[in-house]
Amino acid sequence: MSHIHIPDGVLPFWLWAAGWAIALVMVGVAGRVAGRSEARRKVPLVGVVAALMIVSMSSEIVPIAYHVNLSVIGGILLGPALAVIAAFIVEAVLAMLGHGGVTVLGLNTMVIGAEMVLGWALFHAILKVIKPTRAGIGAGIATFLTLAVTTTLVVGIVWIGGGGEAAERETGALDPSTLRFENPFEEGLFEFGLFGDGHGDEDEDAEGERYLSVGRFALVVYTLGPVGWLLEALVTAGIIGYVARVRPRMVFEGALAEEMARIPGDETGGH
Amino acid sequence: MHIGRIDESATLGDSWLHQVSPISKLLAFALVLAAVVLSWNVLVIASITLVLTAVAVSARLKGRLAFSLSAYPALFALIFAFSAATSVLGGAVIVLKAVTAALGAVIVILTTPYPYVFAPLQRVVPGIVGDALLMTYRSLFLLIEKFGNLLTAARLRAGLHAGHPVRSARATTRALGGLLLYSFDLSQRSYDIMRMRGYEGRLRVTLPRSAAPLIDAALVGGALLLAATSLLWRVGWRDLNPYSWIVLAVAALGLAAAAASTWPARGRTS
Repeated sequence: MSHIHIPDGVLPFWLWAAGWAIALVMVGVAGRVAGRSEARRKVPLVGVVAALMIVSMSSEIVPIAYHVNLSVIGGILLGPALAVIAAFIVEAVLAMLGHGGVTVLGLNTMVIGAEMVLGWALFHAILKVIKPTRAGIGAGIATFLTLAVTTTLVVGIVWIGGGGEAAERETGALDPSTLRFENPFEEGLFEFGLFGDGHGDEDEDAEGERYLSVGRFALVVYTLGPVGWLLEALVTAGIIGYVARVRPRMVFEGALAEEMARIPGDETGGH
Repeated sequence: MHIGRIDESATLGDSWLHQVSPISKLLAFALVLAAVVLSWNVLVIASITLVLTAVAVSARLKGRLAFSLSAYPALFALIFAFSAATSVLGGAVIVLKAVTAALGAVIVILTTPYPYVFAPLQRVVPGIVGDALLMTYRSLFLLIEKFGNLLTAARLRAGLHAGHPVRSARATTRALGGLLLYSFDLSQRSYDIMRMRGYEGRLRVTLPRSAAPLIDAALVGGALLLAATSLLWRVGWRDLNPYSWIVLAVAALGLAAAAASTWPARGRTS
């Protein structure tokens, strides 16, 4: 569930603004940590990993609206600090290509950043109990577990944004006479048609109703999600297994270690 | 991914929208986005869609490219709307919001070279983030081309075949694995080139000034009008909802005018 495919203007303002604020702090801290050493070397590395993720995300499997993300692979190769930066870049570029919402960019960065960091942590935890030759399987398991967790995170975000008083207030219209926010769905727009005058029968039951059906959203996500998690896990297992065979340092120590180990000028070598 | 065609449109286009400064376009986009975010009135949002379409038509953007990119999020929005919206109209608004916001972003990216789009963001994030943001775009071109070549090679060797999904999946995964290794070699080459060219930890992007300040002002003013209309309808929805069709009609007229103004040129080129 690499990012929230929720359009701009659906989640309440306070939620996506908080997402932006948290993401900028995360990126700021990650930038400072990453910039302490070998910063110049890391720039193209983050750029290519972000580009790789965008390429993989650009083709979706239509029936289940899923696309491969390579986010766990990105996390394994970059490590936590650079992963957060790559997550932000991926989401910023996708947002401007019309792929994701601009307002939810912060929340998306949090989700995909969590996916990359958690994937990295789980992969290294699993490596402690399995043989290095089974790195592909370890990466697959880490991916499946990570996607299950981040999907739950997405459902949690929709639950926070889709219900409760705050969401009602944010999605409603400000009544200038009382300076109270009211829900435009109650009258006028939804209950009485597009051109209604909004003064028809009051629907008391509509009061306090959620404007997003979080239960149904969770049902759909948890029904379609596992198919996607499995696909992503298989792809990740295949790629990490392959790379672990031809360039093991890249998988076990990170891409930067692999680059540092290279003989200067031998940019095509290594395998 | 139509990255090559997007870049071609952004850098080689010469429409009135290409003349507008990147800052003005981003400001106008922010205002349009605010209008989309504010409104839950399907007719107001449809009006914004029509206005953006009029802008795209008048700037003679490649229609198929612009609308295919804008329609892409509709697929995911449909899934979300189906799963989360509590009414049909609510679902329609969710999908329309996705398409409209995406159309705004796509118009900006089709008329503004990538470095200029992200230059303002580059100034507020740490150097490594801003520079990597710029490097990503360059890498995208190379990786897309390489991935296409790898898939073609796999197809020619009968590795990709509809009748053999397991074999196809294995070939695609190997192609992605190969792409991953290639991307790290690419990263190393990029670093070497950057170091040779004297890169010291900050790529500077200087934003160009506007070639037509009056058009800049008109664009931002128009976007401000959209945001104000959206806000007005949200605040005064109780009285204004019955008149929502007026906004849609005005936007439709604008689109017709834009189409008519470009008609002679289209006729000449066809």
